[in-house]
Amino acid sequence: MSDGRTALLRRLRIGTLVRILLVVVLAALPLYLDNSLLQTGLFSMAAVVGAIGLTILTGAAGQLSLAHAFFLAVGAYSYSYFAGLPDPSKASKAHGLGLPPVLAMVLAVAMAGVVGLLFSPIAGRLRGIYLGVASLSLVFIGSFVYENARGLTGGFNGRAATDFSLFGFQFAADHPPLSILNVPYGRFERLWYLFLFLAVLAYVFGTNVLRGRMGRAMQTMRDSEVAAATMGVDIRRTKAGVFALSSMYAGLAGVMVALAFTRVTPDYFILPLSISYLAMVVIGGLGSVGGATLGAVFVTALPTLLSRYSDSLPFVAAPASGGYDAGKISAALFGLAIVLFVLFEPGGLSALGKRLTGRVRRHTPGGVRGHKPDDRAVEPQRTLPRSGNTTRTQEDPV
Amino acid sequence: MSAQPVADLTPAPEVPTLVVDGVSVTFAGIKALSDVSFTVAPGSIHALIGPNGAGKSTCFNVLSGIYRATSGAVRFGEHNLIGLRPHRIARLGVARAFQNIALSKGQTVAENLMLGRHALTHSGFVSSGLRLPSAVREGRLHGARIQEIAEFVGLGKKLRSPAGLLSYGDQKRVEVGRALACEPRLLLLDEPVAGMNAEESSHMASLIAEVRQELGISILLVEHDMGLVMGISDRVTVLDFGRLIAEGTPAQVQDDPNVVRAYLGTGEDEDGDPSQAGRPAAKERER
Repeated sequence: MSDGRTALLRRLRIGTLVRILLVVVLAALPLYLDNSLLQTGLFSMAAVVGAIGLTILTGAAGQLSLAHAFFLAVGAYSYSYFAGLPDPSKASKAHGLGLPPVLAMVLAVAMAGVVGLLFSPIAGRLRGIYLGVASLSLVFIGSFVYENARGLTGGFNGRAATDFSLFGFQFAADHPPLSILNVPYGRFERLWYLFLFLAVLAYVFGTNVLRGRMGRAMQTMRDSEVAAATMGVDIRRTKAGVFALSSMYAGLAGVMVALAFTRVTPDYFILPLSISYLAMVVIGGLGSVGGATLGAVFVTALPTLLSRYSDSLPFVAAPASGGYDAGKISAALFGLAIVLFVLFEPGGLSALGKRLTGRVRRHTPGGVRGHKPDDRAVEPQRTLPRSGNTTRTQEDPV
Repeated sequence: MSAQPVADLTPAPEVPTLVVDGVSVTFAGIKALSDVSFTVAPGSIHALIGPNGAGKSTCFNVLSGIYRATSGAVRFGEHNLIGLRPHRIARLGVARAFQNIALSKGQTVAENLMLGRHALTHSGFVSSGLRLPSAVREGRLHGARIQEIAEFVGLGKKLRSPAGLLSYGDQKRVEVGRALACEPRLLLLDEPVAGMNAEESSHMASLIAEVRQELGISILLVEHDMGLVMGISDRVTVLDFGRLIAEGTPAQVQDDPNVVRAYLGTGEDEDGDPSQAGRPAAKERER
């Protein structure tokens, strides 16, 4: 046991080290990447945040949602509204409160959560595919609202998203001017660090939630609703809570998309966006925060990388040439990836990664063939003190 | 978020009486339970037996709030359980181990057992997402109790194994352990030894007896293994076709002619074959 535990600790430490190293590498990337790759990275990190939210809802809690695009829109439009300045001279006629961008970001995330909670009479009562169909309606209601609530959304043409700034430090302009190692740090480089911070925060928070009390509750709810309820889990409340949490993740992703685009337009938040988020979490492995991260980067970055290197890749036609361009090829690749993963590795990229690092095999001894003969011969400790103060002295096994 | 974790660890000292009073359950015109009444005395082991389809599981589902009784009352202390949603009943101290294992197979044994602490803990999304000190402390406190419970049910060495990888017998122990982790005042055990071999059954039987002895809680048991039932129960209630047909000590029930007829048939029916455990014969009798 103690051997197993130290091995576990060592593995955890290695895992943590690898993650820290990865973040350091990511933090150094703006020194080397050009703007188009940086922008791809920004969209990837926004997708990471959204996908983590969806994998908590769909993967861990087993609640299918096709409304992710809608909640991204709620976040994006709310941010633009809270941070934007009223500009009646423009054709869009969109209002704005002119709040500080940080506050606007927090409010936008909260707004997505509130809208998610408003949906809780439905989200708390339906399960699985039924919720998926019900949530689909939000995408279409949303499309109608984006184009008609012009004061908020700017209508068909959308509205500008105010650039981010923090205590006078502009993330968009070159003010104050900044360059590191002779690399001028402009808009994309600055946003990169903001997005990296938000993505890491989303990752850590999501991992902790899944390991914690509510994470256990939602995973048991997914596996057996009756068992979870019988153990004291309030099913409706938990479903509503997970849905709201997932909406807030989507809302933050929406804010990030708005910042990366500098503009919020209704044609982005449509059903295919919801579907591509589902593709991310399925490819990554349902219920795995790390998997959602990988899946999000894969799905977001592949089309742009393919088109960027289309010259040197066989079979990839130039964009809009009518042939199999990067967009079509990557759509086909996502489809293929989903089919292959569902058939051969339902755990997705995360299970593939675990298998490659041998984690699964190390996990099982004592589990699969736990029935050693002496295991039976030894009587278990046959006393159980009534729960009380005796329990406080022992170490944490969980 | 976490009020007084220490106080939460102390179970309610008194174990109330469970009174099932005239409970009927009807599904689309079919009476699954009709006017069933029995009483589980505090700290006793009470068995609920009967042939397949007698209504035992329906009765359990009423007690844990999954089915709603058409009429009748279930009183647990001063509370009426009818109409309460399952998690409310769990929070009154009624825990259940399922017959067909309902564990979260991908989670570890420890995580499955910790789920039993759900009603005793408080961390929400924010406190566990940010790993606030309250959530960390709560995890440590309750984790220590989980360790005790795991050792008690004989799973001390398997806390970190995924539940789905355990043997069938061990998964049944996790079921019992998870119910115990709720610190119940009434433990509902749905066929705890179904599918076990003789050795596993005898271990489970002594475990059940020790739960009562150590914790002093009431145990209501559904089981087909008559040796186990007669060996450890204080009282036995027998159901057949949703009706209560006998009640008493194991010895009284064993000699009751109604019980013998329910299980073995009367032998009076034209195609009644006593060796067929009585179901076709019993059905004929009911016509």
